[in-house]
Amino acid sequence: MDHVLEVKDYSLDYATPNGRFHALANLNLTIDRGEVLGLVGESGSGKTSLAWSIMRYLAGNAIETSGSIKLVGEDLLKVTLKQIDSIRGRRISMVFQDPSTSLNPTLSLGEQLTEVLVRHRNLTRKQAAMEGIAMLDRVGLKDPTGMMRRYPHEASGGEKQRVVIATAFACRPECIIFDEPTTALDVITGRQILDLFAELQAETHVASLYISHDLALVSQVADRVAVIHKGVIVEQGDVEQVFTHPADPYTKRLIGAVPRPDHRLVGAPPKTGGQALVEAKALSVTYGGVSAFARLLGKRKASVVGNRAISIAVKPGEILGVVGESGSGKSTLAKALTGLNPFEGQLFFAGNQIDGAKDMGKLYRRDVQMIFQHPDASLNPRQRVRDILSRPLKLYTDTPSGQYTQIIGDLLEQVRLPREYMNRFPHQLSGGEKQRVAIARAFASRPKLVICDEITSALDVSVQASVVELLIELQKQFGTAYLFITHDLNLVRQIAHRIAVMYRGDLVDLLETAEVDSPSRHAYTRSLLDAVPTPVGDYASLAPELEVAP
Amino acid sequence: MSDIATPLQSEKPSVASSSAGKLGSNHFFARLMRSPQGKLGMLIIGLVMVMVLFGPYLAPHSPDDMAPLSRYKGPSAANWLGTDQYGRDLLSRILYGARATVVLAFMATAIGSLIGAFIGTLCAFLGGRFDEIVMRTIDAVMAIPSLLFALLIVNLMGKGEINAVLAIAIAFVPSMTRITRSVALAIRKQDFVSAAIARGESSLYVVLREMLPNVVAPVVVEMTIRVAFAVMLFATLSFLGLGAQPPASEWGLMAAEARKFMHLSPWMILWPSAAVAMVAIGFNLLGDGLRDALNPKT
Repeated sequence: MDHVLEVKDYSLDYATPNGRFHALANLNLTIDRGEVLGLVGESGSGKTSLAWSIMRYLAGNAIETSGSIKLVGEDLLKVTLKQIDSIRGRRISMVFQDPSTSLNPTLSLGEQLTEVLVRHRNLTRKQAAMEGIAMLDRVGLKDPTGMMRRYPHEASGGEKQRVVIATAFACRPECIIFDEPTTALDVITGRQILDLFAELQAETHVASLYISHDLALVSQVADRVAVIHKGVIVEQGDVEQVFTHPADPYTKRLIGAVPRPDHRLVGAPPKTGGQALVEAKALSVTYGGVSAFARLLGKRKASVVGNRAISIAVKPGEILGVVGESGSGKSTLAKALTGLNPFEGQLFFAGNQIDGAKDMGKLYRRDVQMIFQHPDASLNPRQRVRDILSRPLKLYTDTPSGQYTQIIGDLLEQVRLPREYMNRFPHQLSGGEKQRVAIARAFASRPKLVICDEITSALDVSVQASVVELLIELQKQFGTAYLFITHDLNLVRQIAHRIAVMYRGDLVDLLETAEVDSPSRHAYTRSLLDAVPTPVGDYASLAPELEVAP
Repeated sequence: MSDIATPLQSEKPSVASSSAGKLGSNHFFARLMRSPQGKLGMLIIGLVMVMVLFGPYLAPHSPDDMAPLSRYKGPSAANWLGTDQYGRDLLSRILYGARATVVLAFMATAIGSLIGAFIGTLCAFLGGRFDEIVMRTIDAVMAIPSLLFALLIVNLMGKGEINAVLAIAIAFVPSMTRITRSVALAIRKQDFVSAAIARGESSLYVVLREMLPNVVAPVVVEMTIRVAFAVMLFATLSFLGLGAQPPASEWGLMAAEARKFMHLSPWMILWPSAAVAMVAIGFNLLGDGLRDALNPKT
């Protein structure tokens, strides 16, 4: 019997101004009916290139150098463009990462769903609409008839992704490619989409290629897994086999880098009692004032609540994790504490009251530093690393500028970067290196509190692990307190002393990390924890091996 | 320490970052020359620059040498482009005029762009009431066509080259402000600006050092295209008698003077007009090329 999808000895190059770039090299994959193959790799490993080669939608500078891609025995590399049109959407379909960009905002959801049915199954508009409603009902949307008439902006992210999935399954394709379908969604919504995926998969026996960078997630949805690194599949096999007894060193490193709650990285929390370093009492932030011009015309203020009466305290030397879904007000809190957002309520720093952004003097700003999510955005692309790191020295210290070179070099070494990097521009550094520069900038003034706003979420798993370890190292060295904002519960359980849970602007729970599993937790905390995939595999056996490596 | 060393290895500078060192001006220039518009634009502007820099040395005659016996002549071996109503050599006048026309137009654009870029960035940074007041004023000014606006300013300040330069510069400020503001609004949302504010930097530092360098690329593109407009605007002002004054060999003025003698010698009006057109086209093409080279993704 033929495999549904068979990629054999496939190689793909991109022609770039600097010569050929080998995106994929001698790839071999097969997927059978009813099987889910997980494709795991870091950014730039060629995951998405492979997806597009299978869909036959390649960039103009792509050159296929060898191999074949067969769909039930038929070589897709040899079919004509016209035939491709009848294959795409009908026999192979694709679910994209972000439903808010993969749906056309000017067409109603119904139109986008029925278009596929009309085109590929030759249904009339009316039949297609009936079928579409049935499909939407099948993917678990309440009020499918109403949903058909809605436009993408009238539906939530989870609802939109359900519509995309309904579209993908609409023509009963033989193969579906899922490109990180839950990455853009919240933890709980993502969990529901995964359940839906598993249900539909079992029902339709479609062959699925599930692309993701999240090992824990793949370990749950896939039957077999392929690990791709720099365009080469380094390991392939059963999920259990690969995740418990990885053979390839890259796979080992990747699995070892996945944050896991049972492996604590920090020591005991600081002694209780004593004065809090930073304390917020009933801190509220509202967004959305109206413009001066609109106010002149008498328009009323309709504001959105960012934070509602948050009371929270960070002790010296403590790592306080803040978790919550997107839009829960985590970053708003961080911005209020650094004076980027105006706030109401009271804020105390080392016992002194701070009345607002204007009241945050040089001392406060020196002691409270912030590291941002995207290192690409938080470092000015037109400044050299030297200039970036010299600013805090200039602002907060009396160091004569003659010593800057020495100090900046030391700062770079402290974050394990070579001294020579001070003459580089940010675009000459990798993502992890950029984040290290941002960390060096935050630590240049020897702060007492560093606010880390999702600082690892833009990084690859292995880079993320090294950045987290660097942070912990610095914390041990300087006794700095962290307000560690993240959506990754596994990570926060690994490093935080206490965890604050936020939901729609409210602080719903504040707990010691050790108590996280206790059943008396807030209902939302529990559902959040349940939604997080815990990776399979025996890490305990792997971890020592990783740590003795040079 | 030893357990940190392992994950670090995965972070060796990638191929991209090591070759990124070459991403300097050379690379940018190569990209500019690869696009057909960029190449042609550079060629024309190169030619114009030669005229601007060496025009007086290349000119076969003095621009003011009159020759009563050879007036209204067409192109010939002695006068390559012909002569005007006083028998002055047209080629020499055009070559001498390049300096006046192009340099003044460029100055006007540069002044207008700089002021516009600064106001635009400041508006984006400050936001709120300041932004509202300034932008509504700018909108009101933009409603007046730039030629009319320039005419108004020249009329108020009196005619002359420097006043024409100022008039064009001021007429360019509103649209440059708008363009810069829209780019700067996006930059304002970037984390490095937030980081600078959170660090306690002064507003002037944030505007001048953090934001302005990042809005330069689109401003430069817009500026090259605007130079073409400035050349035409300047020529128009001179044509109307409000810019350069006779006997200057400014191109617009030459065309204006030639109008009366068009039936005697069409060459007189053709050459200066062609020169204005060439500069305008050259800068437009260069602007297009720059746009492609600066934003390789679009």
